[in-house]
Amino acid sequence: MSVFLYCAICFVVLALVLIVRLVIGPTAADRAVVADAIDVLCDMGLVLFALYSGRGIYLDIALITAVLGFIGTTLVGKYLEGKL
Amino acid sequence: MKKASLPAIAATAVLCFIFWLLLTGQLASLIAGEPSLEVLIAGCLVSIGVAAFSARFFIHEKPFFFFNPVRIFWLLVYCICIFPVELFKANWDVARRALSPGLPIDPGIVKIPVDLKSQYGQAMLADSITLTPGTIIMNTVEEDGKNYYYVHWINVASEDHEEAGQAIKGRLEKWAERIWE
Amino acid sequence: MIYVVYALIVFSAFFALAGVVGMLRMPDTFCRMQSSTNITTFGMIGVIAGGVLYSGFVLHNYEMLIKLLVMGLFYILTTPISAHAIAKGAYHHGNKMIDEAVCDQYKEDMQQ
Repeated sequence: MSVFLYCAICFVVLALVLIVRLVIGPTAADRAVVADAIDVLCDMGLVLFALYSGRGIYLDIALITAVLGFIGTTLVGKYLEGKL
Repeated sequence: MKKASLPAIAATAVLCFIFWLLLTGQLASLIAGEPSLEVLIAGCLVSIGVAAFSARFFIHEKPFFFFNPVRIFWLLVYCICIFPVELFKANWDVARRALSPGLPIDPGIVKIPVDLKSQYGQAMLADSITLTPGTIIMNTVEEDGKNYYYVHWINVASEDHEEAGQAIKGRLEKWAERIWE
Repeated sequence: MIYVVYALIVFSAFFALAGVVGMLRMPDTFCRMQSSTNITTFGMIGVIAGGVLYSGFVLHNYEMLIKLLVMGLFYILTTPISAHAIAKGAYHHGNKMIDEAVCDQYKEDMQQ
């Protein structure tokens, strides 16, 4: 059981490490990619915490986070391309 | 953009309804045998309404092309047996490159030819190539009736179009042809 | 069955670590995107597969199972779209590849 909790903590620590790249990333596209990766890592932490606690409400939050991350990344991509 | 036909709207509505069932958790109550009829009718109406507006973006070729048991069977075989093997090989390769001390990468953008005619098949091949780490489709272009992809490749083994295409596509193209043609 | 779930999750944690290290070390935007795909595919799909097995065979909670399947399907369908959009956007916005790049046939064809 506690493997879930330890792995969730590992994923969140990896997401915190990625903030380094978010700060030093030279261009806007770098920051968008890193923000998407942080989103995915936090999602994995949420899924593991839902499995640990046995409550499905965390999965709803993870699904909404996934939808919003996809929309945000695609929007930044279209904006950088100049077609928005 | 041309107007959507009635079969296209029907096909889009069926897909919307399936996705609505999955997303709202109504499938669990259907399996348990106690579906609430009002909610199902409301979902049906909403999916028909959404389909009436969005079918012309979603279906460009023959509708009901996909609702064919043989195609769904080959798609399941592709998703369960073929694609995860390719995904594991590519993932292991990129992870080894990222973790090795010398960072052995040779990035570059190459142009590869694609022989598929169907738009759905081209979309599925492009998504499969982008989903495997190490290759990202940058753009698609059509020249003289033949389609080309521009691919960012992390380890350029060959700059020739045909050889690079064989190395990147592998057996994915044959499966896309089997499913969609 | 529980050990299969643990193995899948530790396996995906390894690939997430490789992706994060790659994102910190790679020299330019497009190579960093390749490592980001590494996190999204095997990291996420490993966790989802482990969660499906756990909620189906241990918890017997089929609502969670369906939600996890929807999440996996959503990730598989939408990750390539956003990767494609942002790679094209970054290239047209002016992000350059590193100088050691082998070839750039996109730029050659755009200049014609």
